[in-house]
Amino acid sequence: MWRAGKNRSGARTSARLFAAYAVASLVPIGALGALMVHGTTEDAARWGRDQGRAQAAVIAEMTVAPALGGGDLSQGLTAEQRERLQHSTDLAIYNDSVLRLRVRDFAGRVVFSDDGTTAGGVSITDPAFVSASAGQTEASLLSAPELPGGQVIRVLQPIMASATGQSVGVLELYLPYAQIAARLHQQMTQTYWRLGGGLGVLYLVLALISWSTTRSLRRYAQRQAHEALHDALTGLPNRAAFHERAREAVAQPGEPGAIVLVDLDRFKEVNDTLGHHAGDELLGVVAGRLRDGLRPADTLARLGGDEFALILPRSDAGTVRRLLDELSAALAHEVVLDGVPLSIEASFGVALYPEHGRDVEELLRRADAAMYHGKRGASDIVVYAGEEMAAHSTQWLVVQAELRHALARDELVLHYQPKVDLRSGEVASVEALVRWQHPQRGLLPPSEFLPAAEQSGLIEPLTAWVLRRALADQAHWTSTGRCWSVSVNVSARNLEKPGFAEFVAGLVAEYGTSPGQLLLEVTETALAADARRAAQTVVDLSSRGIGISVDDFGTGFTGMSQLLGLPIAEVKIDRTFVADVLDSPQSQAIVRAVIALAHGLGSRVTAEGVETADVAYWLRRAGCDEAQGYLYSRPVPWLEIPMYEITGAAS
Amino acid sequence: MKRALLAALTLVAVAGCAAPSDSGSAPAADGGIAIDQALHDSLPDRIKASGTIRFVTDASYAPMEDFAADGRTIIGFSPDLASALGSVLGVKAELVQGNFHTSLDDIAAGTYDGVLSSMNDTAERRKKADFVDYFSAGTAIIVQRGNPKGVTGFKDLCGLVVATERGTVQADLLQRSQRGCAGHPMTIETFTTNADALVELRTGRASAVLNDYPPAAYLATDARTKAYYQLASTVQYEPGLFGMAFAKDDPALRDAVQAALDRLIESGVYTELLQRWGVSSGAIATG
Repeated sequence: MWRAGKNRSGARTSARLFAAYAVASLVPIGALGALMVHGTTEDAARWGRDQGRAQAAVIAEMTVAPALGGGDLSQGLTAEQRERLQHSTDLAIYNDSVLRLRVRDFAGRVVFSDDGTTAGGVSITDPAFVSASAGQTEASLLSAPELPGGQVIRVLQPIMASATGQSVGVLELYLPYAQIAARLHQQMTQTYWRLGGGLGVLYLVLALISWSTTRSLRRYAQRQAHEALHDALTGLPNRAAFHERAREAVAQPGEPGAIVLVDLDRFKEVNDTLGHHAGDELLGVVAGRLRDGLRPADTLARLGGDEFALILPRSDAGTVRRLLDELSAALAHEVVLDGVPLSIEASFGVALYPEHGRDVEELLRRADAAMYHGKRGASDIVVYAGEEMAAHSTQWLVVQAELRHALARDELVLHYQPKVDLRSGEVASVEALVRWQHPQRGLLPPSEFLPAAEQSGLIEPLTAWVLRRALADQAHWTSTGRCWSVSVNVSARNLEKPGFAEFVAGLVAEYGTSPGQLLLEVTETALAADARRAAQTVVDLSSRGIGISVDDFGTGFTGMSQLLGLPIAEVKIDRTFVADVLDSPQSQAIVRAVIALAHGLGSRVTAEGVETADVAYWLRRAGCDEAQGYLYSRPVPWLEIPMYEITGAAS
Repeated sequence: MKRALLAALTLVAVAGCAAPSDSGSAPAADGGIAIDQALHDSLPDRIKASGTIRFVTDASYAPMEDFAADGRTIIGFSPDLASALGSVLGVKAELVQGNFHTSLDDIAAGTYDGVLSSMNDTAERRKKADFVDYFSAGTAIIVQRGNPKGVTGFKDLCGLVVATERGTVQADLLQRSQRGCAGHPMTIETFTTNADALVELRTGRASAVLNDYPPAAYLATDARTKAYYQLASTVQYEPGLFGMAFAKDDPALRDAVQAALDRLIESGVYTELLQRWGVSSGAIATG
């Protein structure tokens, strides 16, 4: 409908353009025609005058001059001259070859006229008379309504009565114009027809040219317009078109709707591993599935990369939710690219209008914030829920930029928190925790910048940095007699990165550390996100002797089955269960179950967030192996970790 | 081109005419020709009163005297010479169209003050008038272009129709030449104007026309006429002097004009006028 409307308006524009061309070319054609008609009319008049002049010359030389036979007109005519003149002009007058003939001297006196009167005639002050007196022949067309043809040619010319060339007077001659006019009229009619026909053909040719030009222009413009507003790969509206339509949708008063941003998870990996053509194919599949799931009034656009956007007009929150659930389900169907089966997952960030604003930019920002919120959490469809979300996402960009510099300028530091063996009270190992010595904001905890790093791919250089530093530090403390193993947190993205296991093993070898002295802590949700890939990495790491610790255990939805068969060295019980383990029978039950499960799988159990000696005591009684928390030590530079046995009671 | 040149020269001549009456002693205004007050004072009273000397001429004798394209203005060497003479004398000297063969009688009757019409100064005419000679030329034979009758001299004219202007030395010459055409005479036709004689030749009714050499040469070379006329030969027959004729009872005017002409010859104006009209071969020395 949109496209049809566009076409119609394009056709209208081009019709207008064509009409403008037609009218504009009519002007020069008309001007040309007028000019040519004018020229022809001029020519005709000139021809008429020339005819008259030629006729007059013949009359003067053959009739008047011989009759006068020289002599001075100022003396008047002799009777003989008069009779000769009369005789030689009578027939011409009778035949209407000459309408009127006067012979005048230079003073203007009429010395002879065909009708015998001496009255009338051109005034001697008339330019034509003056000119004729000076030897020039003057012919002009005068209107004579009483005559057929309505016009008469008047010729005034000097009478050169003898061979000497002496002018003796002025011959005033009136010649009929009717015959000349008739011929002229005939010629003119012919000329008009030719001219009209020629100009008509010319106009037609011009019109055809301009019609064809406007048509190809219109097509070109349409193509340009389509290309300007559509994504070449998927044929979907592009960012510019999306903005335009979103503005229109949002501007509809009293109609709630939603702006939704869709981002494919791990699209980059498809591109990296299967190649760009596979990525393009995947985008095509996604575009198709999204389009199929939408209603006719909805708009699907590709903003760039793996980012899509939806406009869902005339929809309340519930409708939007249902629609997105369907879309999400549709996307989740397995797709096979280059023989590799993949499950597509996408994050949906939703901003509702008018609820979350009426400005498209703002709505997009909020949908973006919601989407990133979703990427961090467990939910793939997140509706915007306040400034906090928005603040995050904008802040993230800043953080990401700064973090890049921080890595380059070595602004990061590692603090370590000891894990204490509950039975011996000795420090068994330390967990490396990254801090950022921010030049303006001071020492920042990981929660301030890790989420941003996770989303930007910065997590990889960051993890690498942490690993190097931790291994370097470990080498130091080992040389001072401390035999602590070190734990480093790695993100789901690290595990999903192909070759991660080899990379870590390489680092371990580089620093000459025993692989068993390094433990990688992975969140439970990271293992759940893409079980296949992460599990493979975990297996690879374990096979190289590097231990794996499941962090925050109990908070996610990791099925026990997912841990089954994985070589897990350590399970860390989340602090939420540990905090109220003394008061809550449920927590007690969970902790006990986890300890039993972990031991059953052959893993060590470490309790996080131990803050009191009572809790430590309870945990030791429950069979927990190690504990970590403020009871023992905050995260500190490794030199500040006491070498001696520490117990909660002792501190 | 030539016409334009003629027109320009006409303008000069006209300017020459106007100047003296405007300012009595403004030599610069007329190409350096200054009024000679003594000569002016010597003019007859009627001339001084009217301020005009009227010469009669037959203006059908280019380049000596002829009508301009307007059919009314007379142009040529003669009117320019008259104008220059008038400038010296402090009067206006003009040419008036009239009959050549009656001109001597007309001046005797007082109709005109003089004749300036390429008139040969002959002994016979001197009986009727006094002359002030100003030009020298012989007679030439004009034939149709291509010379269809093969005329090369007077002897070839015998048996042909020969036209000339009435009362001219050429008419007289023809009459005298008739003697050489024993039994085979020329048919001599004379006309009021030289132009009429040329019409006869142009239309083939006459086989030759006799003219003074300068106008004959002009006819044979001017772009408008050379298609019809040519000279039978370059010979000039019976060279003679052209003179301005004055009535016998008018010596004062004759002498004043003679003195003025001498002045023009001395000052070089005369030579310049001859050059302007391409008739330098007709120059005479001081009379």
